[in-house]
Amino acid sequence: MSWKNIKLIFTKELVGTIRDKRTIIAMIIIPLIFYPLLFTGIGYFNKVGSMKSEEVTSKIMIYGAEFAPQLVKHLQDYEKIEVITIEDDSPAKLQNGDIQAVLVVPPDFKYKIEREEPIKLILKYDTTEAKSRIAQKRVNQIIEEYKSEIILQRLSRLDLKEEFLTPLILQEENIATAEKMTGSFLALLLPYLIIILIFAGAMHTAVDITAGEKERGTIATLLVSQISRLEIVLGKCFAVMLISFTSMVLGLLGLALAFLSGASIAGGIEGVNFGISINTIFLLFLVLFPLVGLASAVLVMVGIFARNIREASSYITPIYMLTIFLGIISISQGMELTGKMFLVPVLNSSYVFKELLMGKIYWNHIITTFSANIIIAGIALFGATRLFNKEEVLFRS
Amino acid sequence: MLIDKNKREVSNKEMIQVEGLTKIFHDKKRGKIVAVNNLQFNCQKGQVFGLLGPNGAGKTTTLRILATMILPTKGEIMVNGLDVVRHAAKVRRQIGFLSSETGLYDRFTPRETILFFGRINGMEDKIIKKRTAEIFHNLDMENFQDVRVNKLSTGMKQKLSIARSIIHNPPVLIFDEPTVGLDIITAKTVIEYVKRFRDQGKCIIYSTHIMQEAEKLCDMITIIHQGNLIAQGTLNELKKNSSFDDLEEIFFELIDQGENLE
Repeated sequence: MSWKNIKLIFTKELVGTIRDKRTIIAMIIIPLIFYPLLFTGIGYFNKVGSMKSEEVTSKIMIYGAEFAPQLVKHLQDYEKIEVITIEDDSPAKLQNGDIQAVLVVPPDFKYKIEREEPIKLILKYDTTEAKSRIAQKRVNQIIEEYKSEIILQRLSRLDLKEEFLTPLILQEENIATAEKMTGSFLALLLPYLIIILIFAGAMHTAVDITAGEKERGTIATLLVSQISRLEIVLGKCFAVMLISFTSMVLGLLGLALAFLSGASIAGGIEGVNFGISINTIFLLFLVLFPLVGLASAVLVMVGIFARNIREASSYITPIYMLTIFLGIISISQGMELTGKMFLVPVLNSSYVFKELLMGKIYWNHIITTFSANIIIAGIALFGATRLFNKEEVLFRS
Repeated sequence: MLIDKNKREVSNKEMIQVEGLTKIFHDKKRGKIVAVNNLQFNCQKGQVFGLLGPNGAGKTTTLRILATMILPTKGEIMVNGLDVVRHAAKVRRQIGFLSSETGLYDRFTPRETILFFGRINGMEDKIIKKRTAEIFHNLDMENFQDVRVNKLSTGMKQKLSIARSIIHNPPVLIFDEPTVGLDIITAKTVIEYVKRFRDQGKCIIYSTHIMQEAEKLCDMITIIHQGNLIAQGTLNELKKNSSFDDLEEIFFELIDQGENLE
């Protein structure tokens, strides 16, 4: 085995991949330009939409306005509420959007206020309509204010202070460090995203340089050269690893940009203090490397086995689904892996990612995950080389 | 059989010696398939050795075995004194292989292609560059040496394929139907180059199903049908043993005889 030969194959695959327009689109244009634009667009339209509904005056119909003139006055005083007191076929008007909410005041309003009994007001609104939801919020706010007013009147009548109502105050203090805050925020989605991006990034190239070479009939030229099968497989696998890793990094960068640009337009994000230590980053890479190797080796093996690109894609689809499934398990909160489950590829990495991002370093988990994934990647590479030596696999048609 | 035993004496000119070559495939649906059955032939330096046969005759299988891409089921095959099974890696250094399945990389230019194949055949960059210049000049490829392959015409691509197969200067060239899909002008060019390689002293195994090509080009003709060797000799020898004068007619006559024998 000569590294020179492996490097020759590696470089050839890399150059070929970079010169492929589809790679550039998938690796650079989609994550770095399309994602941010998409999120910015979504953020912008959300903001415009919500600003418009905030500005609009809510039309509210009060049924039985004459029973609670003071409440009606409160509502009328609010500048963004227009009170309509005419009786009408209210549900229909509410449904077709002419008015945004209907408030029903019972006839015994005044009587119950005086007797200090609870009064039931009914507010009808449509939760699927943004304008109606805003009307509901506004009415709610005014009712709350009016309620406080009544309570204060009652307290002063009884000669009690306002503090009478708050015997205890609980002050909460969050002691989580910036690192842990970032970690828990990232730990939720990042492992899943990393896994998906690694596989998605490896797929196209892995298939293109294996099954694709068979399809285009270029594989035979490699096989009659001085390069050994193992060198070909390793060169190809390393190229897929680099492409997969790069597209993951670019993908994450794109998503981060997208998230920041989208969020800042939609109203800014609460200052998430990004703090990750160098140690954690080093350990993340330690877990990441065998995972990238595993994904690349398995996909290269499948690609060599397949007759053509189409067949390879249909073999890869279930593998990809399984990966997504394992990734989703890692998102679900509260599930803890037991020792042996750290031998399950993909799942183990996502859990170790999660632990590391939360600032927990369990060496036994890291070592198990690292070795399990390396060994499986090695087996896949061995299998790929064996397949390359099988004439019935190479010359199936 | 028209094999002239006297011709098979071992000499230092022999580049390829094939004895009792048999290849059996196992297919799940069709069972055992004998693709090549007990084939034997020798090829010499400075000779174009024609392998003729209809599609499915076993030409490609034979050439793949010679090129170490697949293993024989039985038989002894030597290329320049090296056994193709035991010394596959060394045999690969002796051969230049060209067939419809030795495609080219679309995203590379001819110059890059040749550099890559020179390097994977263990050549030094300095020597590759020198040889590339020579080959590109001889094959008249200089005007498109820096154009990516996907922009080249079929003829240009075939020239590049030829250049690729000879970059490491192998003594044996294995050309499996090199004119398939080419227009007559390009096909003629290919045939001219094959002649030139012969004059340089190379041993060329040339498979085809186009009889005029074999007539014009081949010093020695072997006709195989359904995996069996049915005739071998020079064009004149074949003519002598046949009632026909035209290779195509001879070919059909032999195939008929071959089928009647079964």
